[in-house]
Amino acid sequence: MKLLSVINKCTREQIRNFWILILTVSMAPFFVFIYYLIIESTKPHYDLLILNRDNGIQTMGATINYGDLLIQSAEEFENDTSEIPLSITKSDNKHTALKRLRTLKADALVIIPENFSEVIHNPDMANDTINTEIEFIGDLTNINYMISAIWANEILNQYMQELTQENKPIKIKETSLGFSGSINDFDLVVPGILILSIIMLMFSATVAIVTEVEQKTIIRLKLSKITAFEFLSGVSIVQIVVGLVSVLLTGIIAHWLGFDFRGSFWSLLLIAVLTSVSIIAFSLILAAITKTVSEVLIVGNFPLFLFMFFTGAAFPLEAKELFTIAGYSVTLPGLMSPSHAIIALRKILILDMGLKDVVPEIIAVVLLTIIYFLIGIWAFKARHMKVE
Amino acid sequence: MNTNQTEDNNTVINISHLTKSFGDLVAVDNLDLRIFQGEVFGFLGPNGAGKTTTINMICGLSKPSGGKIIFQNYSKQNNPNIRAQIGICPQENIFWPKLTCREQLHFMGRMYKLSAGLSKKRTTDLLEMMGLKEKSNVLADKLSGGMKRRLNICMALIHDPEILVLDEPEAGLDPQSRVLVRDFIISLKRDKTIILTTHNMDEADRLSDRVAIIDHGRLLSLNTPSWLKKSIGEGDLVEIILETEKFQRADEMVNSLKKLCKQVKFSEKALIIKSKGLIGLIPGITEIINNHGNKVMEIRLRENTLEDVFIYLTGRKLR
Ligand SMILES: Nc1ncnc2c1ncn2[C@@H]1O[C@H](COP(=O)(O)OP(=O)(O)OP(=O)(O)O)[C@@H](O)[C@H]1O
Ligand SMILES: [Mg+2]
Repeated sequence: MKLLSVINKCTREQIRNFWILILTVSMAPFFVFIYYLIIESTKPHYDLLILNRDNGIQTMGATINYGDLLIQSAEEFENDTSEIPLSITKSDNKHTALKRLRTLKADALVIIPENFSEVIHNPDMANDTINTEIEFIGDLTNINYMISAIWANEILNQYMQELTQENKPIKIKETSLGFSGSINDFDLVVPGILILSIIMLMFSATVAIVTEVEQKTIIRLKLSKITAFEFLSGVSIVQIVVGLVSVLLTGIIAHWLGFDFRGSFWSLLLIAVLTSVSIIAFSLILAAITKTVSEVLIVGNFPLFLFMFFTGAAFPLEAKELFTIAGYSVTLPGLMSPSHAIIALRKILILDMGLKDVVPEIIAVVLLTIIYFLIGIWAFKARHMKVE
Repeated sequence: MNTNQTEDNNTVINISHLTKSFGDLVAVDNLDLRIFQGEVFGFLGPNGAGKTTTINMICGLSKPSGGKIIFQNYSKQNNPNIRAQIGICPQENIFWPKLTCREQLHFMGRMYKLSAGLSKKRTTDLLEMMGLKEKSNVLADKLSGGMKRRLNICMALIHDPEILVLDEPEAGLDPQSRVLVRDFIISLKRDKTIILTTHNMDEADRLSDRVAIIDHGRLLSLNTPSWLKKSIGEGDLVEIILETEKFQRADEMVNSLKKLCKQVKFSEKALIIKSKGLIGLIPGITEIINNHGNKVMEIRLRENTLEDVFIYLTGRKLR
């Protein structure tokens, strides 16, 4: 079978041209990683240090340390309220704790005094001269200190209330607006980046075609008995595999960094294959206007940028509606097939919708693919296959 | 059967009024020639004469601006794709740099619809014949210039074409490889029709059954190398050194010689004679010399070469 021979040949060449392969396959995982870092670093985060100096107290032959119990309770609080970006760390030494505060590695330090257990155990003992003092240390002008201190105070109050079995009529409940809430920005960008990993095929697919022109081997193919369709099918199959590998890698990294995949795997696969075919068809247009690999790497950046930044692949995008067809709105980015694929993937992966919910998107991708393909085949033949 | 009919029966490629222009430049100008079954047809011409352009049109890589190329008496008439029956070794090496020698030959074999087994076998045989066996699994990229050339010749042959077109096959080859390629071409003769261009006149002389000398896209002469050497140019040159100090009956002798050959000069002890087809005349010449009482001590002969014919026809000007 000629097709198998073409696939075999293209696979070997693709692997041996490993720089192009690495560029294609690594871009999207890299983007996932960058997004993760950006989102993580812009998220508010409060680090509270607790230093326990409590000596404890002997009762009924056992040692009780109320300071340790306070820390335990604080850790429980931290675990129970995971939506609050507060992290509690135990510290052993005031010196290092202060150092962490100064270097902004922590926001607030709470010191539990030596006589903490003693005073708590005999609350009556406490008076003007003997009492216990919990010390809060931090930069008073720093908003992070204030928020950490508020939470520390809340933890302390809850603890005291538990100890004294007192019912407190008021409890603090924090509802945040914005970043720290339940909208996860990372989840929002992952479908786009999965498609971005396929958009990157534009380079490897165009290069795979244009190399034949550049090294003139297209002449040998023209003279032989293979048809343009057979040859392009072979190239496409190899490129689809590269695309799927790329999606897989991106998906694995996204999952590892916390993306929660919903929806069916087969729907994801279908969208990935369709988008790959679409990008390959577009690559044919790019191959028609270039003659060498270096031209591809220069000229290719323009469509790459358009596809990357104006389809929602690199970041979520709201496009202006031009008009609607059967209730489906047509936008300028909508002329680029990945924009539909991204919408479909968001529905599938985030909203857990089924294939039937993304039929319009699939139709749009298929239609655009056919259009790219027709233009591409025509332009490619006119430019590179014509005998002059 | 008259000659025309025999020619017709033997013709594989019939080129008539073939013209190709690139803008104002006429690269091939009203070329008429026939290429016969089983011959080695040499295309000679200075740089830019239009050899490659003609070959490209024969192979279908370029469209004629005028005239026709007709393939006739073609044994595999049932295959409409005549181009698939041509094997070409282009002037520039064309191959896949990231495939090994074996991989690309096998790939091309498959593209020409050879069975996997046959393609593999031909690949192995060709690599062996062209002395590339040891380099079978080396990327084409990593071959030396001459090896690349030989690989390119293999590529022309993988599908066992009926017509073989070799555009300067020996360019960049060392003497060993040249002999190898030459012997190989000779071994293919009769079985295949071979069109060859070269700037190596000696090679063309030894290999070609007929040569066409073209310049500025026009056919200047077309015949067998021996006919061309005999008939075109200043001819052969003979220098005859006589034993005697002084020529006996010198004027009489020169006059007799001049009846045989046009140009006769003598200086001191030597006679210098120039004529076409001089070799056949040497016995007559020595007879005349002897008859006039002179004795030949040494004969130095410089035969008219194809290069002389070429320079005579195309001039010394660089293109
Ligand atoms: N694609 C082209 N466009 C314009 N001019 C061309 C093109 N190809 C060839 N020519 C011109 O046609 C003429 C004949 O070129 P061609 O390559 O046929 O020469 P050649 O006989 O093969 O020479 P050489 O011995 O150097 O290989 C040259 O003047 C060349 O510049
Ligand atoms: Mg040439």
